[in-house]
Amino acid sequence: MTDTFEHDESCGCREYRELSRREFVGTAAGLSSAMFFPEWLPRVVLAESYASDRDVIVSIFQRGGVDGLNLVVPYADPAYYTGRSTIAIPRPDASVPANQKVTALDNFFGFSPAMTPLLPAFAAGNLLVVHAAGQSYVSRSHFDAQRFMEVGKPADPALVTGWLGRHLALVPPMRTDAPLRALGLSSGLAKTLVGAPKTLPIANPASFTIGGAAGTAAARQAVIAADYADAPPPLNASALAAVNTITLLQAISFEQYVPMNGATYPNSNFGRALKSVATLIRADVGIEAAQVDIGGWDTHAAQGGVTGALSTLSSDFATSLAAFHADVIATNARVTVVIISEFGRNARENGSQGTDHGRATTMFAMGQGIAGGRVLVNGWPGLARENLEAGQDLKVTTDYRDVLAEIVQKRLGNPALDQVFPGWTVNFKGVTR
Amino acid sequence: MDQQQPLAAGDPGVERRRDRRTFLVGALAGVATLGASRPARAQDRRKKADRETMPADPLAGGVGSAIAAPSAWANPVIRLVRRATLGLSDADVTAAKAMGYQGWLQYQLDYQRIDDSAVDNAVAALWPTTTQDVNTLFSLSQGTVQTAQQAAWVYRAALSKRQLYERMVEFWSDHFNIEFAKVGYLKVVDDREVIRKYALGKFADLVKASSKSAAMMAYLDQNVSRAGAPNQNYARELMELHTLGVNGGYTQDDVAELSRVLTGWTIQGRGTFTFNPALHDWGSKVVMGVAIPAGSPSLGADGIKEGEQIIDFLCNHPSTATFISTKLLKWLLTPEPTQSQINTIAGVFRATGGDLKLVVRAILNQGWVTAAPVKFKRPFHYLVSALRGSNAVITNTAAINGQLVNLGQPLYQWETPDGYPDLFEFWSGNLMPRWQVASTVANLRSGSIVVDTTPYLAGTADAAVDLISRNLFGGELDVATRANLLTYLKAGTFNETRVRETLSLAIASESFQWY
Repeated sequence: MTDTFEHDESCGCREYRELSRREFVGTAAGLSSAMFFPEWLPRVVLAESYASDRDVIVSIFQRGGVDGLNLVVPYADPAYYTGRSTIAIPRPDASVPANQKVTALDNFFGFSPAMTPLLPAFAAGNLLVVHAAGQSYVSRSHFDAQRFMEVGKPADPALVTGWLGRHLALVPPMRTDAPLRALGLSSGLAKTLVGAPKTLPIANPASFTIGGAAGTAAARQAVIAADYADAPPPLNASALAAVNTITLLQAISFEQYVPMNGATYPNSNFGRALKSVATLIRADVGIEAAQVDIGGWDTHAAQGGVTGALSTLSSDFATSLAAFHADVIATNARVTVVIISEFGRNARENGSQGTDHGRATTMFAMGQGIAGGRVLVNGWPGLARENLEAGQDLKVTTDYRDVLAEIVQKRLGNPALDQVFPGWTVNFKGVTR
Repeated sequence: MDQQQPLAAGDPGVERRRDRRTFLVGALAGVATLGASRPARAQDRRKKADRETMPADPLAGGVGSAIAAPSAWANPVIRLVRRATLGLSDADVTAAKAMGYQGWLQYQLDYQRIDDSAVDNAVAALWPTTTQDVNTLFSLSQGTVQTAQQAAWVYRAALSKRQLYERMVEFWSDHFNIEFAKVGYLKVVDDREVIRKYALGKFADLVKASSKSAAMMAYLDQNVSRAGAPNQNYARELMELHTLGVNGGYTQDDVAELSRVLTGWTIQGRGTFTFNPALHDWGSKVVMGVAIPAGSPSLGADGIKEGEQIIDFLCNHPSTATFISTKLLKWLLTPEPTQSQINTIAGVFRATGGDLKLVVRAILNQGWVTAAPVKFKRPFHYLVSALRGSNAVITNTAAINGQLVNLGQPLYQWETPDGYPDLFEFWSGNLMPRWQVASTVANLRSGSIVVDTTPYLAGTADAAVDLISRNLFGGELDVATRANLLTYLKAGTFNETRVRETLSLAIASESFQWY
């Protein structure tokens, strides 16, 4: 079986594709095709050059600096309550109604009410929380801090590729004939993915067409492909990947996708993005990495507590991830999710019932290969004023690169950590099983 | 722990890039039936990175390296028009050629002398919210106000004769970015009284107006900052994004102190600036070495002057001159300005007190513009340039923001205060929506925007492609793209449908992505 994507509609490859599918179905022990091929599945079959010993990675960035202290609450640290008189989440006391207090994960940390949709993933041992995590390098600028995290090294203007981009460039494709190895669910390419081969930002994979009359689409695509062949990199590669991906994405019926285990994704930007990622992963078309952003975490004012703005956003975050867990993580051992944010927020609330830019916060990892079901802390620094960095912030005790690097090596099968995270001496924390 | 370990040239990264190049050629062989003229373009486009320095990041694959302009871009006047407009139009190119380089540049800089009343009147009639006061705007549906504001911007960008001014409006709208959804109608006032008022004025006037803009105060939470519990959001971005730059010499303590200085600066009524002495921190403060002694309003201390003193200090700081000059050089001239260019422009900035007309004039000098590498159009620029280049007859632009959503740059909808990026590597992957828009624009046959193809059908196929070159490329369409378009046009029946498809391919082409 060879790559079907170098052909277009005008070359008779629709027939070829369906033949491929029939052959593939024919090998499936005579079972009816409907059982194996629901309507949304692509009618394309890639060559069986499949490296199955590596996970697909879903990288999620919470942009704006997430207040991890109000997502995974250190309810046993009394200073948490003294510093947050209007926005704290109440302790898990029996006297408080269940939806208005912390749900304990252990004897120190617990989920805010908005985060409780993730309890099944946590209980299944697939969700790991890393607390007091962040960057060792101090920056309270959103834009510097995001850039440093995404490129995987602070304050080096010469490094422009992202950590995930370099990882993908360093390893062979999981499927040699995949037209698209990675995508960002956004209109611009996230720095995390810069440098990755066969990688595109695709805000909506369901409408990936060239437009215009169908009868001339193939001929116009050919003109465009030729036109961009000598474009300067990475424009030439982007154009080629785009042209080669049209057939792939048009073959998938995103609208008819049926999640596993009855999972329901929220109809939010984040929920829709994760649903698209799930569709692509389950379609098994060679996608190795996806980058998804969720913004709005810059809660300087009126962030709320048990309810309010941060609660609403956290609820979208947790509900979407819970659906992805039920749909993908619980059913596929070769998918890992990792979630980071550029920094946390001040330990104490400000005068506007919000929180200003801080330092350490939460990270999350999810997957059957993740040593989850616990809150991993490399020593809790404490929230009492004398224990805070600059008298105001939770100290970073786990550098985000230690978490990512362990996943890159143990789950993504790439030992070249000195190139994925240049200049960083890695210290694994037991994030993976 | 963060010692630099540069990846050596000649390591696997370099090998990989060569492999990708080989792969590209191989993979395209089956598709590129029109590739006969490709070698001509490969020679045509010289890559600076190959000639001068390798990128420091060996896996970057060209990211961050300047790309020289194609040799077809021969006329210096047209190079200036590309830089100073939101896309070539036959009318602008003809006018600029007649006035000459210096004449047309000065004509564009003296924007107030350009009669733009037709556009002003049309905008006011189509979208009355653009001229209404806060009390009226407050009472309206904010969705309606936003749609009108977006449509008006597209209309002005496409049709205004003050093209360089519109380029500066775009620049400052990102520099002082405000997301409409957070502040609503207040952004209409900010656009009118801050951005458009001073886009080619004095830089300090922009910062001062912005610091008292209700939209900016609401966007960055300045309106809720108070003594004893200051909110640092605006104070930080005022230094990091608006004036000094992130490496401009301030510390976290300076952010905290400036936030104390600005306590009491807030909003009253439907959205006007006010100073509330009860919310102001009257204690002593020190911002970047500038001391403000403790005071009391009853003893004549002035909480507005405290803030204005620091804002003046920030605007006059050498870091600000360097930061703004660098950013303007990147916007108007080159993604990679040299240190010498930065020093020169920062010198003009300081010597003229941040006079933006003089700074922009210094940047757009003929020597620099003709030697500059190409820049990649952002989606808004790309879409507007398609409308301008195809001579679209425009009576309303209300539908355009929907296209900008697909392209990734809906107006007034960037959430964070840094504004939409102006980076090739950010935008270069999102080509499919551009190709879709190219098809959409070329097929506008009726309604509020119409592209008339009659002139293209008046002669031969060769003449039609020549007209495409004249309208969209200032007559400087490169040989390879011209051959591709002509081959496509001649491969079918010479009729309106085929001409529109050829026009869509011209708009979708690589050549049309640059300016």
